[in-house]
Amino acid sequence: MAAVSLENWVEKIRDPKIECMSRDEMAALQSRRLVDVVNRVYNNVEFYRKKMQDIGVEPGDIRSIEDIGKLPFTTKEDLKNNYPFGLLAIPMKDVVRVQGTSGTTGKLTIAPYSQKDVDVWGECVARGLVMAGLTDEDIIHVCYGYGLFTGGMGLDYGAKALGATAIPMSAGNTKRQMMCMEDLGATAFACTPSYALYLAESLQEAGVVDRLKLKAGIHGAEPWTEEMRKKIESILHINCFDIYGLCEVTGPGVAQECIHHAGLHVHHDYFYPEVLNPATQEKCADGETGELVFTTLAKEAMPLIRYRTKDLTSIDHSTCECGRTLPRISKFKGRTDDMKVIRGVNVFPTQVETALLGMGGAVAPHYMMIVDREDNLDVLTVMVEVDESMFSDEIRKLDALRNKIAAVLKTALGVSVRVKLVEPKSIQRSEGKAVRVIDNRNL
Amino acid sequence: MIRQISVFVENEPGSMMKVTSVLTESHINIRAISTFDTPEFGIMRLVVDEPQRAKESLTAKGFVTRVNRVIGVELEDRKGNLNQMLKILADGEINVNYIYSFVIREGRAPVMIFHTDDYEKAEKVLKEADVKLIEDTEL
Repeated sequence: MAAVSLENWVEKIRDPKIECMSRDEMAALQSRRLVDVVNRVYNNVEFYRKKMQDIGVEPGDIRSIEDIGKLPFTTKEDLKNNYPFGLLAIPMKDVVRVQGTSGTTGKLTIAPYSQKDVDVWGECVARGLVMAGLTDEDIIHVCYGYGLFTGGMGLDYGAKALGATAIPMSAGNTKRQMMCMEDLGATAFACTPSYALYLAESLQEAGVVDRLKLKAGIHGAEPWTEEMRKKIESILHINCFDIYGLCEVTGPGVAQECIHHAGLHVHHDYFYPEVLNPATQEKCADGETGELVFTTLAKEAMPLIRYRTKDLTSIDHSTCECGRTLPRISKFKGRTDDMKVIRGVNVFPTQVETALLGMGGAVAPHYMMIVDREDNLDVLTVMVEVDESMFSDEIRKLDALRNKIAAVLKTALGVSVRVKLVEPKSIQRSEGKAVRVIDNRNL
Repeated sequence: MIRQISVFVENEPGSMMKVTSVLTESHINIRAISTFDTPEFGIMRLVVDEPQRAKESLTAKGFVTRVNRVIGVELEDRKGNLNQMLKILADGEINVNYIYSFVIREGRAPVMIFHTDDYEKAEKVLKEADVKLIEDTEL
């Protein structure tokens, strides 16, 4: 246990040549790779060839990264329609593994990899682990799920590329996680932020935090807030880092925060990011929020051209204080999918989290949003767990607390909210991705 | 002084039973009970023979609890006795938040439990008026 303060932090960079490359050099590298990938998909994937022909674009029209806007978009719908291997750009015998993610409806989203794709994946995660201050001497406790979900394997490949020790715990069985974390001397752990908080609280309750050697946490796969990061950091006395990825593109390691927490550095030598206005598809200026769109510049098995992630963010191309020139995408406001329109107002679960954690410890950070429709009117109920510090013996004080939470949420969200106080630990803790919203409206 | 345990429960079938079953498993005796409900949640207030152990058992099972000081007053079962005690408190300008009575006392005089924000003063006024206060040890 040792959180390092910013003034004592010694920045290490895994691949300074790439991570601190000048803008011109990087553009030249990206241009070469874009020309190459466009040729590969045009020649090997009927879907892309047809899509490009439909809008009258040929591989020869793409000469530099500046030409990317001429290419057609790829959507989740396209992946579904070409399930499972319709977008393969290499022979099946060269596919060394397949990962996937369970969509909310039916079929999986599939991600095939060549050996080189796996190596690139591990390299990108390793760059992130170094951003988190880790070296080949660290022991990384991976409690992301292993399996089709990319979390477990991604961190595992990253640890391997770095030469660190991976402990492949996978998800679940918190008691065993706690025992191994202590006994095997983990110096870092990786899992979803909601599980990180649950695990941190469990370690605190068991009184073992002081016996741990943890110094860093790598958390992603769901949106989380600065307040949540500080909460986990303060319980475990560690530094936590937001990691981002999506399985279609490669899995975790597409982007990650450095110690300055000024956005997530995108490995844009491999994954070229664009932030576009979701309505007009115009390029957003730096700092402007839009939909994140990725082009995989080096992927062999299933390259994606201008893939619309549905994640909302903004981008900053200025050089970071850590020295990296890798552009930074802001922490996610959420997916366009997670956003709920309640009485015409856009509401994200992260806004609820920020508001609750902003109440200075008066409220537990475990919550669930339930959206119903009563008499044709949307009703948002937020369930909040009562803990020892907020429990009062008197109804009037609990009522006052409930009213206060409702008022804080109304100010933060712009819609009125029903607050329901529930028993501790009654909101389900997730070992994978946390479910924060239940929408009963059947829209 | 009597220590009372308050427990947060959701207003759902079986929620109070979950509390009493934890106490039963821990062999704790409930001396008095009172509940306060709203449409969504309630507070169970209990006086038990071993408050500290009761709190520990309930906390271990994930309940949110709080231990408060309350005052226990012995009242003989005669007309006007409760009124008389409340008059003493009213004259002493002491606000009573809530009040409830003991379930069973094996033949002895009934006990009323009440909660006030001004614990010290309430105790003083009652003692001056010769009202018998009950201690934890007498439960």
